[in-house]
Amino acid sequence: MRFVTLIAAEAKMLYWSLRRYMFNTVAMLVVMFLIFMGMFWGIKSIGGSGVTGDSLDSMLVGYVLWVSAMLALQNTGSEITSESQRGTLEQLYLSPMGAEKIFFVKAVINMAFNFIFITAMLYLSMAATGRWMNVNLPYLYVMVLLSTLSLVGISFMIGGIGLIHKRIASVNGILSFGLIGLMLLPTYPVTPYAFLPFVAGAAAVRNSIVRGHVYPVWWYLFITGNSLIYLIIGLFVFKRMEIKARRLNKMGQY
Amino acid sequence: MSQTCIRVTDLVKTYKDLIAVNRISFDVREGEILGILGPNGSGKTTILKSILGIIEFDEGSIEVNALSVKKRRKEILKNTGAILEGARNIYWHLSPRENLIYFAGIRGIPKKSIRQRIDYLLESLELSDVADKEIRQFSSGMKQKCALACAFIHNPSILLLDEPTLGLDVEISRTLRDWLLNVVEKEGKTILVTSHNMDFIESICDRILIIRRGEIISHETVESLKEKFARKHFRIDLESEPRSHLLDTIGTLGSVSVSGSSISVELESANQLIPLMRILDLADTTMLDFRTVENDLEDIFLEVIREEEQ
Repeated sequence: MRFVTLIAAEAKMLYWSLRRYMFNTVAMLVVMFLIFMGMFWGIKSIGGSGVTGDSLDSMLVGYVLWVSAMLALQNTGSEITSESQRGTLEQLYLSPMGAEKIFFVKAVINMAFNFIFITAMLYLSMAATGRWMNVNLPYLYVMVLLSTLSLVGISFMIGGIGLIHKRIASVNGILSFGLIGLMLLPTYPVTPYAFLPFVAGAAAVRNSIVRGHVYPVWWYLFITGNSLIYLIIGLFVFKRMEIKARRLNKMGQY
Repeated sequence: MSQTCIRVTDLVKTYKDLIAVNRISFDVREGEILGILGPNGSGKTTILKSILGIIEFDEGSIEVNALSVKKRRKEILKNTGAILEGARNIYWHLSPRENLIYFAGIRGIPKKSIRQRIDYLLESLELSDVADKEIRQFSSGMKQKCALACAFIHNPSILLLDEPTLGLDVEISRTLRDWLLNVVEKEGKTILVTSHNMDFIESICDRILIIRRGEIISHETVESLKEKFARKHFRIDLESEPRSHLLDTIGTLGSVSVSGSSISVELESANQLIPLMRILDLADTTMLDFRTVENDLEDIFLEVIREEEQ
């Protein structure tokens, strides 16, 4: 029950913030809509008749994956930086629920919002262009959620570093671009790259949706295990950094 | 005799070569307001944050309601509220009501069960009229009231306040003081407060801890501290500036300082009051006013610090 209350509080906080910064929210919606429209029309006009429906779908799936991954990766780090800048970080640490639980719920709520937001923009763009993708969205989202959990773990590691070093925007920037490379690595049948975070899940989504590959169940279990391990490592590192921040009195000092 | 609420024993905290807190021990009893005074960097905030578990201390122990901060921190936090960075502790882009709902939520308290408490806090802190306005537009005093309401949202029995009146005007400081005194009296809350505002500390605290360089140099009730440092201190206003002969004669009774036509005299004993009156009676200037001056907490604080330095 207390956990549900925490989820409701974070959902409300997101809603209030979106409402308060209405201009930014609308601008975000417009930009995302324009990006999707640009993909639908732009690729066609550059590639001409050589661009097939599959390559467009591949682009869109890749984009959805990249945006979701980037947001998952940056989430906790940027939350910690902004809470610290505001002066509210210490208040989160005064919650008996524990700060790591609060930040985890923040990450999940933000991911859920992004899913809804991206889906709405995707469908709006498809309706506007009359070009409908042949994508199994529930599968896409389950897979995105499974594979980005590993990035939530990495985000917690970055957040932990943020507790001590405060300014971590450049780390987030570098890792976000590194993601593009990670998404292109071959993983199946098992290559060393498959053990990196997010890589196996991203490849599975792309190949199954665009190329129709069918993977065995154990491969999905492998992806789930990979994500959970990175998530656990991320939470562990965060906890260690939190202890260090407490020892050095770095909590809340920006 | 009320129970011990907070027990700090031999607390030590160091940062590399700097000893921030050096073997400090004290208790705070239930329903008591304990003030911590000290110059900047003396370790006041470190003590507060150690009690809340936001700082990991090196040695010693802290117990809150007989629970160890190191082992049972989350349980302690259920019953403890704090303001650590003044009004920065709350979300300025939200309204007071939204802040209260959020801070209750992250403590696992649903909005339904807290509705009355929110109304009570908004009303008692005179925030009802602005309950749904963005905090960013508020004055410092209003923001601080919101921070206080948020720290109190879960109805804690213990409240830790770090510089709650910093940057606030006299009127708001008094409102906060009255509000805090009221909750202590009516609800039996326990408060540990640090401040540089001596009037605030003097008017609110039962006991005062003066610390310097991480060590306790005085730990007494406000009354006993005042009694201990009470001086037979008099201020005499004359019609004209006193001559040096008069000052020399008064100087035989105690220490004298002059400011224009006013003399401040600190007598070594009360018996010297009559000789002082005789001297003034014989002086070739008219006495306009004669009054006793009591040392205020600021004088006492400075005197304690000076004594310690010597």
